[in-house]
Amino acid sequence: MATTKKISLSEEELVGALKNRHTIAVQALYDMYSAALLGVISRIVQPIELAEDLLQETFIKIWNSGESYDASKGRLFTWMMNIARNLAIDKLRSKDFKNSNKNQDIENNVDFIDAQKEISFNADTLGIKDMVTALKPEFTSVLDMVYFKGYTHVEAAEELNLPLGTVKTRIRMAIMELRKNFN
Amino acid sequence: MEEVNAYIESGILELYVLVQLTVQEQQEVEEMAARYPEVKQEIAAIELAMEQYALQNSIEPSAELKDQIMNRLSDNETIVPVTAEVEQVIKPTPVVPIQQYNEYEAKIRILRFALAACVAMLVVSAIALYSAHNELGQAKTEILALNLDKQKFASTTSYLTEENTDLRKIADMADDPDWKVVKLAGTKMDPAAKMVVYWHTSGQHVMVDNSKMALPANDQSHQYQLWALVNGKPVDLGVFDVKSDTTQILLAMKEIAGAQAFAVTLEKRGGSVSPTMDQMIVMGGV
Repeated sequence: MATTKKISLSEEELVGALKNRHTIAVQALYDMYSAALLGVISRIVQPIELAEDLLQETFIKIWNSGESYDASKGRLFTWMMNIARNLAIDKLRSKDFKNSNKNQDIENNVDFIDAQKEISFNADTLGIKDMVTALKPEFTSVLDMVYFKGYTHVEAAEELNLPLGTVKTRIRMAIMELRKNFN
Repeated sequence: MEEVNAYIESGILELYVLVQLTVQEQQEVEEMAARYPEVKQEIAAIELAMEQYALQNSIEPSAELKDQIMNRLSDNETIVPVTAEVEQVIKPTPVVPIQQYNEYEAKIRILRFALAACVAMLVVSAIALYSAHNELGQAKTEILALNLDKQKFASTTSYLTEENTDLRKIADMADDPDWKVVKLAGTKMDPAAKMVVYWHTSGQHVMVDNSKMALPANDQSHQYQLWALVNGKPVDLGVFDVKSDTTQILLAMKEIAGAQAFAVTLEKRGGSVSPTMDQMIVMGGV
C-alpha cells in the first residue's frame, strides 16, 4: 500500500505528474505535505476531524485544478497552501461553522493564538514538530494571524491596534527571522 | 539596483507570498519578478521560509485519511472518463434523432389535425348533401303538387269560361223575344221530373238546360231522346245523357222550325225512330 512507503519527488516531477493526472503525484504530495497543510488548516478551524475533512477537500481540489498551477508565479507548496487556507477560511466564515463554534469566533482569535503559542501550537495534538523558539512573540503573533488564522494584514493591524506600516514591518521581520533559522 | 532593493525591503513581497495584495498589486509584483531576478529570488526565499515554517508546525493526519483521499481520486478517475465516453457514444446517436423525432412528431401532429379537419369537413359535406337532397325531393313533390293545382286551376278556368259563356247565352235569351223558354213537367212515369228547353223560333236553335234539369240519371244502355211535336207528329231532336257530374250547362240539339210541344222519352242508346210513348218522362207545350 501507498501508505506504508512514503514517496518523495522533486518539484518538477511532482508538477509534471500532477498535470498529467498521475495519481502518484497526489500520493507524493500527501506524503510530503499533508502534515504541514493539516498544521495550517487545524490552526484555522477546529476540531481536528473537521480539519482533516478540509485536508481531504484540499487534495481533491489540488488534483482537480492541477492544470491551473503556474510554476512561474510561485512554488507548488505555496499554491497548495493557499488552496488549504482558502478552504479553511471559507469554512471559518461559513454560517454553519460560526453557529457550531461560537467559542472560536474570529474576535477571540487573538487570545486563542496566544494560548496556542504558549503551549507550542497545539502541543497535545499528535505529530507536532519543534517550534522555532528563536522568534520573538511580537513578530510571530502578527505573522501567525495572517499566515495561519486567515486575517488580512489590515484586519490584523486593527485587531492588534497597530499602525499598518508596523504590521508590514513585523511580518517582514518575522519572515527574515525564519529565513535566518532555516537557511 | 537601489530601486530594486528598496522594493524588496518595502515588505510587499512578503505580503505577496501571504496573498495579502490586490490583484493589481499582485500583477505589479509578478512584472517586477519577471524583470528582476533578485525579486524572483527574494520571493522564492520567502516562500521557502514559509514552507519551512509550515513544515515546522506540521500535524500528522490520521492514518486512514490518505486511503480515503486516494479512493476518492480513483473514483473520480474512473467515473470522469466513463461519463465522458458515455456522452461521446450516446450523445451523437440519440440527441440528433431526438430533434428529428420532434420534427416528425410535429409533422405527424399537423397531419393528424389535417386528417381530423378533413373528416369533420366530410361529415359536414355529407350532412349538407343529405339535407340538399331532401330539400330537392320536397321541391319536386311541391312542383308536382303545383302542377296538379295548375291543371285543376286550368280545368276549373275552362269550365268556368264555358259556364260563363252558357250563362251569358241564357241571359241574352231573356232579351231576345225569339227565344222561347219551354218548361217540361213530369208525367205519371215520374211526376217529380222536370226540365227546360230553349227554342229560338227564327233561328230554329234548340238547347237543353242541364242546370235546370231534374231527370234521373240514365244507365249505359239507355239515353234520353228529345222530341218536338209538330202538328201532332213527333220529330227527333237528338239524344242526351243525364249524368251527375255534367259540366256543360247548355246542350245544343237538332234544329226545328216549328213546334207545338216538346217531350223527352227514355230510349235505347242512340235513340229510336219513333218515341216509346210509355217511356215519356217529361212534356211541355210551347
